[in-house]
Amino acid sequence: MKKVLWQVLALMLVASILLAACGTPATEEVATSTPAAFPYPAGGALEEALKGAYNGKTVTVDGAFEGNDPDGVKFAESVKAFEEATGITVNYIGNKEFEATISVRVDAGDAPDIVDFPQPGKAAQFVASGNIVPVSEYLSDEWLTQQYNQSWRDMVTFDGAEMGIFHRFNGKSLVWYPKKAWDEAGYPIPETWEELIALNDQIVADGDTPWCIGIESGAATGWAATDWTEEMMLRTTSLENYDAWVAGDLAFDSPEVKKAVESWSAMWFNDAYVFGGRSSIVTTFFGDSPTPMFDADGPKCWMHKQGNFITGFFPEGTVAGEDYGFFYFPPVDPAFGKPFLVAGDSMYMFNDRPEVRALMEYFTVPESASGWLQGGGALAAHQTVTPDMYGVELEKGIAELVAQATSFRFDGSDLMPGEVGAGSFWEHISSYVAGSEDLDTAMQAIDATWPK
Amino acid sequence: MSGQKRQKQFGKFLVNLTLLILVLLWTVPTVGIFVSSFRNRDKIDTSGWWMIFPHREWQPVRELDPKALGLDPNSVMTIEGVSGTFEEFRAGIETPDGKRLTWIGNKRIGKLEVQAQVWAVDWDFSLDNYRQVLGGQDFEFKRPDGSVEVVPGDNMVNAFLNSLAVAIPSTVIPILIAAFGAYAFAWMKFPGRRAMFILVVALLVVPLQIALVPILRDYKALNLNGTYLAIWLAHTGFGLALATYLLYNYISGLPRDILESAFIDGASHFTVFTTLVLPLSVPALASFAIFQFLWVWNDYLVALIFLGGNPEFELVTQRMAAIVGSRGQDWHLLTAGAFVSMLLPLIVFFSLQRFFVRGLLAGSVKG
Repeated sequence: MKKVLWQVLALMLVASILLAACGTPATEEVATSTPAAFPYPAGGALEEALKGAYNGKTVTVDGAFEGNDPDGVKFAESVKAFEEATGITVNYIGNKEFEATISVRVDAGDAPDIVDFPQPGKAAQFVASGNIVPVSEYLSDEWLTQQYNQSWRDMVTFDGAEMGIFHRFNGKSLVWYPKKAWDEAGYPIPETWEELIALNDQIVADGDTPWCIGIESGAATGWAATDWTEEMMLRTTSLENYDAWVAGDLAFDSPEVKKAVESWSAMWFNDAYVFGGRSSIVTTFFGDSPTPMFDADGPKCWMHKQGNFITGFFPEGTVAGEDYGFFYFPPVDPAFGKPFLVAGDSMYMFNDRPEVRALMEYFTVPESASGWLQGGGALAAHQTVTPDMYGVELEKGIAELVAQATSFRFDGSDLMPGEVGAGSFWEHISSYVAGSEDLDTAMQAIDATWPK
Repeated sequence: MSGQKRQKQFGKFLVNLTLLILVLLWTVPTVGIFVSSFRNRDKIDTSGWWMIFPHREWQPVRELDPKALGLDPNSVMTIEGVSGTFEEFRAGIETPDGKRLTWIGNKRIGKLEVQAQVWAVDWDFSLDNYRQVLGGQDFEFKRPDGSVEVVPGDNMVNAFLNSLAVAIPSTVIPILIAAFGAYAFAWMKFPGRRAMFILVVALLVVPLQIALVPILRDYKALNLNGTYLAIWLAHTGFGLALATYLLYNYISGLPRDILESAFIDGASHFTVFTTLVLPLSVPALASFAIFQFLWVWNDYLVALIFLGGNPEFELVTQRMAAIVGSRGQDWHLLTAGAFVSMLLPLIVFFSLQRFFVRGLLAGSVKG
């Protein structure tokens, strides 16, 4: 018996070593260069790469999504054209604990070549420690001006130096509604704030509740409320004030910010307007909150404001344009135009090698986001993107709304220091919604946590 | 006599009852997850797993048109012998004859439904969750030319093999080293033995997290990062302190007589170790093997750091974390995922369990 045990153990050891041997990647086959199906800046590393100069080289990219999850598959699709045209292998190694592991890896001197940061704010610490190579060292201002609207470049500029390349984004200023029931009930799409309020009252008069709202998200509870605050900041005050607020120069306890918070809380705290009433907002999981829109007995609530990723939480089998539709979250004050709130991913170069530069250059063209454009889930940040590049109607529709926007700004809480943007802001805005803190207390408490 | 017996039986009954309640408390959530793993997301979202048991349910019998009946939803409405406001009708009002009237939809275009209570079971099971967990999801890409290409996601086979490739050596290597070490500490005399043993025991309280960055640096210098050897060594190091301590306790407790008679017969330490100590320690080895295997199998952090999150080396735990999607939208897959990832540890547990249940030492001193 004992002998058997040892034999089994020995066998398993041998087997696992064999497994390990099989697991190591096979040698890469040499790709043949084909003419590039995407534009590229003249005289750069990408041009050299297209001639096959870096054939067989490998570039490592790290990010916050797993290599095998939907985003990972879309990333692989997106860089396929680059790999085929240059013979360079792009090795993506992301994981969900990216925010923790990236610091460990960089500290240990094992930085990946390129990092895909889901928030530019996260890159700030590596900009400060000098790990990131500035964009000006490998791309011309002329090329970037051609590829990007200035706002996108501003978002990846730290203390005057442009450090990253904006890649793709999600639109947040969107309101979702159950299209079938909506059309049956004959509700109009509101285009101004007054129309939205009128619609709210119409829905209440019909015996329903207009809004589905939930901000519960485990340790991140409250982030959905920070989005509403940012939307209202953009709609009730100037862009300068928004930027000052994000940078910490305009206090939370200022009349501008308090007015923005009150503009949404007036709606949230009206029990007739929110499904389940004010008290249910903090305890409803954000992903579950739109579900009552698709109730079998007709919508329990009719509108839900959230970024385009929320469609992943809609019940299985619901189709965009049939079961649900979306409209632009209406502006409040015409003086501030039609602002658009976005969040998205930008790329940063950590190791300066020609093949890495080539991939960074590739990220400046919309073809580098093709996996998302054709598979859905994000929009290209490049102004050279054309509607026919979008394969998915939903994203195409959002892109049209974005094109009509007069200004856009990145999700402010993602740009603030972590203590505030991913800490006290969430915490105290949740307390305010729950009713355990009044507005002044909450705002002052957030101000107190801003790092000096 | 019989009174005492009855008292004893009553005590036994009480113990069994308590155990039964505890077992139920512990297993009900597992049963719930197991049932949920066979239901699709919308089902999990809208009704509890206990709906698989027979229960009473309201089902529509016929519809009434409130407009045709001249009902005004803004005031108290009376129909079929019951009256109530719009809100009350929405929640459903029971009529004297056991039916229920429920308003469906809004005030303007809604309707009244007459519902009756019937027995129902919700046995709408599907293997969809398991299919997605094991076989991977499919992704659709709509090309600019209008064609649709389906790209299949990764299945779990790779992650399973990777996890095995990590877990088995990471279990066997520390056991071998620790058994040698424990024997030395227990039966060999050398200077500094006590101090060294205390050092090993002291290492038990050192959290492994503090070692991550230094080890990663060393691995970087040795060019070991992202290899299996790296993670085997890491798990060996992290598991060695506990393994040595556990095995020392067992090996030092082996009957002195057997070992001493072996030494008198001229056996060397190596012979004694391989022919006597190892076979006699199988129960301890097996129980530590279970501990270590479960720990390595369920480990997420160490693998994440030393295997570098490379999809090539993705483990089951990483796969499980990835399966919920980047925003947690596929949480329902975790139900099936939990049972899939549980499978192998259960097999290991039950196949090794018999080794430490058996009393290997029984009668061995006689020989």
